[in-house]
Parts: sequence; structure tokens; C-alpha cells
Amino acid sequence: MTESLKLTVDKRDGVAVVYTDGYINNQGGEEIAKVAYDLLDEGYRALLLNLAGTKIVNSIGISILIEIIEKMIEVEGKLAFCNLTPTIDKTFHIMGLAQYTSIFEDETEAVTHLTG
Amino acid sequence: MSTVMNPLRSLSRATDRQFEDGSALQWALDLWRESAGARSVELFGPAQGEERAERAADGDQADSGSLRHIATSAGEGGGAEPAKIFSLPCGFELRYDGVDADAADDASRLESVALLIASMALLQGSRSQLREQAFQESYRALAMEALYDVGLAIASTLNLEELSQEILLRAVSLLDARRGALYLREADRFQLEGTIGGGAADSIPVDRAQEPDLEVLPGSRHRLASPIEVDGNVRGVIVVGDKESRTGVGPFAPGDERALSLFANQAAIALENARLHRQALEKERLEREMELAAEIQRGLLPSKMPAVGDLEVAGWNRPTRQVGGDYYGSLRLKDGRSVVVVADVTGKGMPAALLVSTLHSGLHLLLDSVEPGEALLGKLNQHIHESTGSNKFITLLMLLVDPTSPEIRFLNAGHNPGLAISPSGEVRRLEPSGLPLGLLPKSGYRLDSLELGSGDLLCIFSDGITECESPAGEEYGEQRLCEFLRQHRSEPLEQIIQALDREVTRFADGEPQYDDQTVVLLRKP
Repeated sequence: MTESLKLTVDKRDGVAVVYTDGYINNQGGEEIAKVAYDLLDEGYRALLLNLAGTKIVNSIGISILIEIIEKMIEVEGKLAFCNLTPTIDKTFHIMGLAQYTSIFEDETEAVTHLTG
Repeated sequence: MSTVMNPLRSLSRATDRQFEDGSALQWALDLWRESAGARSVELFGPAQGEERAERAADGDQADSGSLRHIATSAGEGGGAEPAKIFSLPCGFELRYDGVDADAADDASRLESVALLIASMALLQGSRSQLREQAFQESYRALAMEALYDVGLAIASTLNLEELSQEILLRAVSLLDARRGALYLREADRFQLEGTIGGGAADSIPVDRAQEPDLEVLPGSRHRLASPIEVDGNVRGVIVVGDKESRTGVGPFAPGDERALSLFANQAAIALENARLHRQALEKERLEREMELAAEIQRGLLPSKMPAVGDLEVAGWNRPTRQVGGDYYGSLRLKDGRSVVVVADVTGKGMPAALLVSTLHSGLHLLLDSVEPGEALLGKLNQHIHESTGSNKFITLLMLLVDPTSPEIRFLNAGHNPGLAISPSGEVRRLEPSGLPLGLLPKSGYRLDSLELGSGDLLCIFSDGITECESPAGEEYGEQRLCEFLRQHRSEPLEQIIQALDREVTRFADGEPQYDDQTVVLLRKP
């Protein structure tokens, strides 16, 4: 059973890693956006979304993720994703998110990219 | 005021990004407000797409209702209710407070900036629409890809749970549903297989699955369900609830019903494949068990009949399934006498084979301590009765052969009569003297005797021989068996058995037989 989205944040070495657990839909997307914008307000310019706990994302969730990507571009920050299921990875590529953000297989690789 | 003099020069410095995100528009709106000396200005424009449809659905027919708010510029002390309207081309308008812009000294300049504002708003709206169109195009491609992927998943795995989850995830995601559940049929109810986005009813009655007010996804306001049908039989139902938009949830569009139906069709194929696969695995498992049981049963039957006194002896058995309900064998007693048995258990397959095992062990244990005769058969009857259900029984013909005596003694518990054929062709029958074993808790038997002379052939057999059926439905029968035995009585016993095998096979002429066939032959040299 997949309930609504749960988020946890781990801040280290100037990178904020946001772990998602659940469905990235309208509600879930808004929650991610709120956390991301709060982190930007705190001064973080490198965000990593670890989607290991997410198996499903819908078009509303994608459009909110696109807004977050645009915001990161606007503030000249870095945003990356990691641990995507094959389905979500394919979704990100078809919907064009992969052109504007970095996608990694695992968290270590992503954090190295963001701190580099 | 001076900035109004050459707004295009200032705007030329705006970046593409500033046009796209509306900051250039905001700059122009602030400029207009300052130039007009207004405390606040609000820009309104024509409602677009979904927004217009939603307002129409809400019955909002007022002029102001067909406009959407685009941007606000408020100066110090701003926030007063904008009372005046400055109309712009293409349905845009500025609502402002304070001075009358039409009567202002620099009215023509205000008009120029206002036109610029309308152009920028129009451009921004067009870009936004193009982005939305591009997004929707990509999403349609994603939907096609998802259906293709589900098809591939069906071909690559037969795990029903994984497939159900995959189909549910794709359907909920692509229909922008907030909730979803998949049910599979078990008897007269659909049982919950998986959910997304919250809880769902554990089960729903089959005949109520399509009712729109059925509380399948508690708390959802809008629901769409599609049956999962295989060959006209409803095997399950896929349900989604509450279509999401940026403003909340609403009903599903007519096209969504079609999309859900496509996923339900994919689910139906997956379910059928998985069911057939499970069936095949079960069949394979049963076959392995039957083969094992057959091997165990073959161990109970003699590979070659042991010697019985000075008599020639041979035995043969052909089960109609891998394991059967016929039993035969012989056992030499400590005093030199031999016991020969042919038995037929009711039923076939595994239950019959288990009863054969019970008979085999019971008989051997009793023969260790009880004199073969009426008492032994009585005890065996009691043992079988206690070990089986009331509808199971065993017919048995037991011979007691004493090498020192010309007489053969026998007990027949409801078995078809054995046949003794003399060299002259005369037939004597070893008739039953009691009920089959296990039929009643107590049953009496009589020990009869038969004298065998030189050349006498004794045939004890199961009814699979005499009840062997031809394609015309005719039974082989005792008469044909007697005739056969008369014709072949002087041949070697193994040769007679092979000939009998050919005889009944020829008689059956390919007709499937449903009873095991067993023959034991004995002949006095």
C-alpha cells in the first residue's frame, strides 16, 4: 500500500538530501517544493532528491518538480535526483526533466557531483 | 515620470528569463502605476483552457468571471479597492484606483505602456500555453510508453502480485488519480490485491462493483472503475479515485474511462497468463508426486513372482494411471506354505494407492502372527474399515498354497471369481464367500478349497480385464477370458500373459480404459 508522501531531510557538507517516501502527486509535489524552497531560504544551493522510497509520480507531481528545477536554475543552484525506479527514470527522460537536472543511480555519486 | 519617456529602452535590457517568469511584466505594471499615480493596479486577462471550463461549470457567467487575475502592482498605501478600469486590446484590462488615467496629462504615454503590458501578458500567456502543450504531448507519449511497458512486463514475468502492482501504479499515475485499488475475484467477492494513495475496502461484492456510490475508496469524491474481463468472465476490477489538478481534485474526463479500460485489458491478459502458469506449475507438481507415488507402489508389487510351492507362477499389472488401485503379490510363510493375493481397491490414483499401501502393510503384519484363514481376513477387514472412509473398500482373493497338499485353499472377499481351467477346458470358479474388506466393521469369510491336477491353469485377476471396454461399449467379459485361457492354457505363463495383454489391447482398440488390469496365473506342472 502506498500512502501519502513522507519527507526527511539530511543536511551535510552544504548539500541537503531530501528523501521521499510515497506518491509524488499534487500534495506530495507541493510538500517537496515547500521543503526545497525552505532549504533555499536557509542558504542551501545544492539539493539532492533521493527517490528510493517512491514508486509512483503523476503529471502534477512532475510539473511541480519542473518548477523546482526552474527555481534552482534561477538561483543558480544545483539539483540532482538519485535512486529512481526504471519507470520513474523513463518518465523523467520522456518528460524532459533529465535535460535540466542530473540523475544518478546512487546517493554517493550524486553527492560527489553536487559538492564537486 | 522620466522612466516612462523611454520604456522600450529599459525593456530591451530585460532577459528572456524575465519575460518568461513575468518579472518584465511586473516591471511594466509598476511603471504604469507610478506613471498614473495610482496606489494599486491589477491586470486581468481572458481566462484560459481549464480555468474557463471550471468557471463555466460553476455557472459563473458574469463578465468579471470570464477574466483571470494576472498580476498586481501596489505602491505605498496601496491596497485600496481598484474602482476604475482601463481597457486594453485582446480582452485585457487594468483595474486601478486614484486619478483618471484617460484624463491624465501623459495619457498617451500611459496608453503606450498599457499596450506594452497587454502585449507582454499575451506573449506570456502564449508561451505558457505552448509549454503546457509540449508538456501534454510528452505526457501522451509517456502514456503510450506505459502501455507498451505493461505489455512487456506481462510477457516477461508471471508473478501475479508484481504484475497487479505494476498495472495499478501505471494506471493511477497516468490518470493523475490520487487513489487507486485493484481487486481480484474470489468466489462471489472481489478481494483487495493492492492500493495506492490510501486505504480501500478489503473486499466488495461482485454484483455491486459498478455501483457509483459504493464506498470502495473511503474519503474519495470521484471514482472510476473498470472490470477486468477474461473471455466474458469478470476476474477483477481496477478502481481509481479523485483526478488531480493543481487546484485540487475533480471528476475524471471521458477519455480517462477509455485509458483505464486499456489498463484493465492488460491486467486481464496478465491475470490469465499468470493463472495458466500457476495451473501448469500445479499440474507439474502433481505429476511429480504421482510419479513418486508410482515408484513407491511399484516397490510394493513384485518385479517377478516368487516361487509358490511346485506351481508355475507369473503376474502382471497395468495401472490406468501412474498409480493404481490393484494389488498382487505372494509371500512364503515360515512353514513353507505360500499366500498369493490379488486385490482391487475402489477408486484410482493417489487415494487408491494409499489404500493399497494400507492393505500391503496390514496383510504382511497379520501374516506374521495370524494363521491365514477366516480370522486373518476378519482382522484385515477391521483394519481396513478403521483406516478408511465408509465409501472405500477392497475386493480380495487370497490363495493359500501348501506344497504338501494337492488342494489349494482360498478366501474370496467380494472379488470377481478366479478361474481354474482344466486340460480338457473345464472351468471352475473361485466364488466369493464374503463382503469386500472395509465395507462393514465386522464381516465373516469362508475358507474354500480347490484341488489342482496336473496341467490345471488357475487365473486370478482384477475386473479391469473382464470389464475392458471396446469402442462399441462392449465388455471383454469372463466368457472371452475363459475362451482365451482354454486356447493358451498349455503355453508358458509369461507367454500367456503377453498374449492376454495383446488380446485386451486389441479388444479395446484404442478406447481409453478406466480400470487397472492385473492377472496372476498359476499352473500345476
